[in-house]
Amino acid sequence: MIPIEVYLIFAAVLFAIGAYGVVVKNNTIVVLMCIELMLNAANINFIVFSAFTTDVLGQVFVIMSISVAAAEVAVGIAILLNAYKIKGTIEADGLASMRW
Amino acid sequence: MMFDSSIVTTIFAEFSPLAPMIVMIIGALVMPAVFFATKRKSAVAAVMIAVIAISMLFNVLMMVDGYQADYAGLFAYDAFAGVMILLFQIVAFFTALVSVSSSETTRMHYGAFNALLLAATTGMMFVATASDLITIFLGIELASITSYVLVAMKRSDPRAAEAAVKYVIFGGLSTALTLYGLSMLYGVAGTTNIEDIAIALSTQDFSWAFGIAMITMIAGFGFKIAAVPFHAWAPDVYEGAATPVTMFLGTGSKKVGFVALFKIFLVIFVAASSTAAFATEELQYIFAIIAAITMTVGNVVAISQNNIKRMLAYSSIAQAGYILIVMAVMSEYALASGMFHMFTHVFMKGGAFLIVGALITVGIGEKISDYQGLAKRAPFIAFAMTLFLFSLAGIPPLAGFTSKLFLFSSAIYDGGVMTQWVWLAFVAVLNSAISLYYYTRVVKAMYIEKGANAERIKIPKTFTAAIVTCVVFVIILGLFPQLIMDFCADAAAVLFG
Repeated sequence: MIPIEVYLIFAAVLFAIGAYGVVVKNNTIVVLMCIELMLNAANINFIVFSAFTTDVLGQVFVIMSISVAAAEVAVGIAILLNAYKIKGTIEADGLASMRW
Repeated sequence: MMFDSSIVTTIFAEFSPLAPMIVMIIGALVMPAVFFATKRKSAVAAVMIAVIAISMLFNVLMMVDGYQADYAGLFAYDAFAGVMILLFQIVAFFTALVSVSSSETTRMHYGAFNALLLAATTGMMFVATASDLITIFLGIELASITSYVLVAMKRSDPRAAEAAVKYVIFGGLSTALTLYGLSMLYGVAGTTNIEDIAIALSTQDFSWAFGIAMITMIAGFGFKIAAVPFHAWAPDVYEGAATPVTMFLGTGSKKVGFVALFKIFLVIFVAASSTAAFATEELQYIFAIIAAITMTVGNVVAISQNNIKRMLAYSSIAQAGYILIVMAVMSEYALASGMFHMFTHVFMKGGAFLIVGALITVGIGEKISDYQGLAKRAPFIAFAMTLFLFSLAGIPPLAGFTSKLFLFSSAIYDGGVMTQWVWLAFVAVLNSAISLYYYTRVVKAMYIEKGANAERIKIPKTFTAAIVTCVVFVIILGLFPQLIMDFCADAAAVLFG
């Protein structure tokens, strides 16, 4: 049987890749995708802990968080669409008129 | 039938702990229908205010009666939930009241605007009653996702579009961090019920997984409460959003993060600190350092702001720093005074944002220089703004002074003994002095500097009503703090009980 640490490290790496993408990517849609990666890393954690302790609440949590993530992406894309209509760009550099 | 919480239990039976939220959800569902049926903003606003008033009535009845009940182990209504629900309802009430006559709120989608406002408030109230990680997470997300849309609803304004994008991205990042922390906490404790987590943790040593959970959750909730260094989004979002929405975010949305922090961290700490295996000292120091940095950065950066919404946003960040003292001190009195400060913050910061919104509606800009000569043009507005700003700075006998006095004194003495957080109280007092500088700049512009225009200003009636209410509460809570402080003390006793 694969030990629990392997899954946790996998999730942590996924989380780190997502966090890296959020920091360095300029395209806001890619940033949203990276946030999804981070959320999925947390979901994997929940599933793993749930499977190793035979407690089902973790899986319930994952179903909830997947639907929350879907809602968040729907709203996020709509807001990006609105920003593209008004400002003509969704690059992070083009959305920096307000500073300090 | 007596006029007490039995009314609520008769109507809602086993769903009584959720009664205020159920009213709000029904309101959110009918709001677009009301708008399409009447096509009038005033009709929607009337229904909206009625819904919030009914919900508030139920909550006050339950709160005054000391009603306590639990729903399915996921929600629990107690004194703490009652006080925080009341706070969120007051914020929603003011927002609904002024958004009807504000020139910044949407005209086409006014039904949807109000539905989203109610949904966001419901999410906040769910967090206040939640007793499980799942419901806390869902409540926070319900409040956040609707807030993103509320910010973006000021269509055709490039600043609002940009603010909404920043809010979605930072909010999503905060969600991801929080969820990762919650998953680690679930892994360590093996359950999602907060009290069971506290019991499970009190029997085990510090583990690296628990450390990761704490760090990611502090970062995640730090974004929600706009604590430095996670504050970058707040000034942009507050500047870009319509001013009633800014008020809603600054006074309501920010408190959600605090409620979740109190619920998760305080319960864990209190249960765990009874065992020697669990050291909370380090985490208390982390919170103390974050609090000190947050209030200093907020106040120092606010000095250089020329846009009044941005200045108030940075002052909001500083206020979050003051409230974070609660997490460092972690005594029952500190929690009670922190909650009291949240209440006074709603009236003083809310009142200041209301005045900014009212002045934008009558065509005055957002720059501090636009406020020159305001005392001649609108004497009452200038006077009210002065009161709110002095209250924020902590000038007696206003509400801000009383709540800051309670909060800072909780950091100095705990049960008659000097605590190790005296330096934190010192930093906070020093910061209050700094904040007086930039608040006085606005007062100086209003009273001393001469404006180009000397025409009288007439602001909409709903704004006047909301501002007068805020003025009354800022004075009353300053002189008679026990009106709300008693409820806060009961609420704090619940979490520490």
